[in-house]
Amino acid sequence: MARRSGFAVLTMMLAVSQIWSIAAGMAAPASGGPRHVVSMNLCADELVLRLADRDQVAAVTYLAHDPRGSTVAREAMGIAVTRGLSEEIVALRPDLVVAGAFTTRTTVGLLKRVGFPLLELGVPNDFEGVRAQIRTVAAALGHPARGEAMVADLDARLARVMPAAKPLRALVMRPNAFTVAPGSLGDAVIRAAGLANVAAELGRDRFGQVPLEAAALADADLIVLDEGEPGAPSLADALLHHPVLDALRRQGRTVSIPNRLWTCPGPQVAEVVALLAAAAHQRAAR
Amino acid sequence: MNAPLPPPMRVDRAVVGPRAVVWILGLLVLVLTVASIAVGYAPFDVPAAAGDLIAGRTTLPALVLWELRLPRALLGGLVGFSLGLTGAAMQGYLRNPLADPGILGISSAAALGAVGVFYGGFAASLSLALPLGGIAGAAVAALALNLVAARGGTTLGLILAGVALSSLAGAMTALALNLSPNPYAALEIVFWVMGSLADRSMDHVWLCLPLMALGWGLMLSTARALDALTLGEDTATSLGFHLVSVRLRLVTGAALAVGSGVAVSGAIGFVGLVVPHLVRPMVGARPGASLWPSGLAGAALMLAADLGVRLLAMRPELKLGVVTALVGAPFLIVLLLRERGRGA
Repeated sequence: MARRSGFAVLTMMLAVSQIWSIAAGMAAPASGGPRHVVSMNLCADELVLRLADRDQVAAVTYLAHDPRGSTVAREAMGIAVTRGLSEEIVALRPDLVVAGAFTTRTTVGLLKRVGFPLLELGVPNDFEGVRAQIRTVAAALGHPARGEAMVADLDARLARVMPAAKPLRALVMRPNAFTVAPGSLGDAVIRAAGLANVAAELGRDRFGQVPLEAAALADADLIVLDEGEPGAPSLADALLHHPVLDALRRQGRTVSIPNRLWTCPGPQVAEVVALLAAAAHQRAAR
Repeated sequence: MNAPLPPPMRVDRAVVGPRAVVWILGLLVLVLTVASIAVGYAPFDVPAAAGDLIAGRTTLPALVLWELRLPRALLGGLVGFSLGLTGAAMQGYLRNPLADPGILGISSAAALGAVGVFYGGFAASLSLALPLGGIAGAAVAALALNLVAARGGTTLGLILAGVALSSLAGAMTALALNLSPNPYAALEIVFWVMGSLADRSMDHVWLCLPLMALGWGLMLSTARALDALTLGEDTATSLGFHLVSVRLRLVTGAALAVGSGVAVSGAIGFVGLVVPHLVRPMVGARPGASLWPSGLAGAALMLAADLGVRLLAMRPELKLGVVTALVGAPFLIVLLLRERGRGA
């Protein structure tokens, strides 16, 4: 009973704030863009913080502040954070919520039910998807020209990359021995650097994990380690320092890519392509 | 010294002598260790890799054999031996057929100690800190249980104290992992609660082996005292056994063996409960005689369970504790029912 009345209050709050947000939307200046954007996903944070005016952003996720995972830790400083709970979001009275297609689903479901202005971002599988996502977010924020500029910059950086001369075989090992599956953006990044993805040869389990011995015996030319910074240890990260991988590291067969560059499909993927291509050139020269 | 009298409660009907049992179980452990080395996730020529390893060639197969296959097999045997031996020693000392490092919360407390050290970042600066953390946790739990047992009480009373300790340590482990700033830590609760030997390395073997062996030695040295204790504490004292020393050796030994094992493999339950009951029909009811066979049977059970998780077509592989619980939990229920039948 108590729960039901609590829910009724929440619904009422949502309804009230919705009316408020419509009113706020009408009061918005002619330039069109939303004035109170709340981002509920780290990858959305990265695009929103780069594409919006600073005073447009009401809140980002708590993850945006952590330089280990976020490429926008500096930009996020001083901006309020949420953990994606319904009450937090409602209290901020956003006129645009940008959410991920796979995170904070309960809140997103609730916001949808009461008709909040919502933009959901999927996980692109290729560079075209990355470009489209940048354009979508830029348009929703009222700054389509900035989106075009970001896409042009991404394309220019990709064009500057010299792909590996011969297709070396590369295997990505992320924390917990996850790899990048063929057909994903990570796979596209590997191919853009002129490398071949060994994961396609290996039988992966349904979660994309590769047993360490299979990874070692696959005899890849280059093992791409997605490494977090030391400080807060976990077994998942410790796996990337297993003696087997350390031995390959000493042979110069590994390259470390900082965790934050892999996490999101933003313009930073060009940086990953460049790092991989550079590592491939170095490896080929050995 | 006089050999202790056979205990009055059960007729000794051992078919084979304890010595023969030890040999047979030892052979079984050896076979399972070899099988464990031979089974893995990638096609692998074990003899060729062993050849490379012995000749000192640092080839990829030699590396995989030395740093992945061998440590996994060795740790299976070592941790299994520790759990089986500790179970037998505790059942003998507490004269409680339900005693087991898992049920009594010693394993969970060891996991809590190891978690505190590992996620606090201490293991990064000093790798020995990891087993020491596990040992500290196990020692606190073993001492606490000893206090409960010393105050007297029923068989089930001690078990209930252990269950409480176990859930407390489990909750604290979950709390510590949730508080860790590393986003992966919270997912690793499963490893610490259920245990696994996947992707361990030779470093882990060297870390836990010396401390574990010390613990085994301490527990095995109590064999005769455990036999004497079946006649009651007064009789044992009159036979010349110093009970404080026995208790100290058992608690320290259990903490060293279980603590260092759990620190590298996570808490794996029920092994220490099941194996003493399995070997007792073979070696008779003398607790002292069941120590070595229980350790070896524990090693065999663990190696078999670890082979099982790799051979089952389930990926990612099952945690070891899942398999041992599938065997052990029904076993525990049967024991409890039998205990009730006796009106305890």
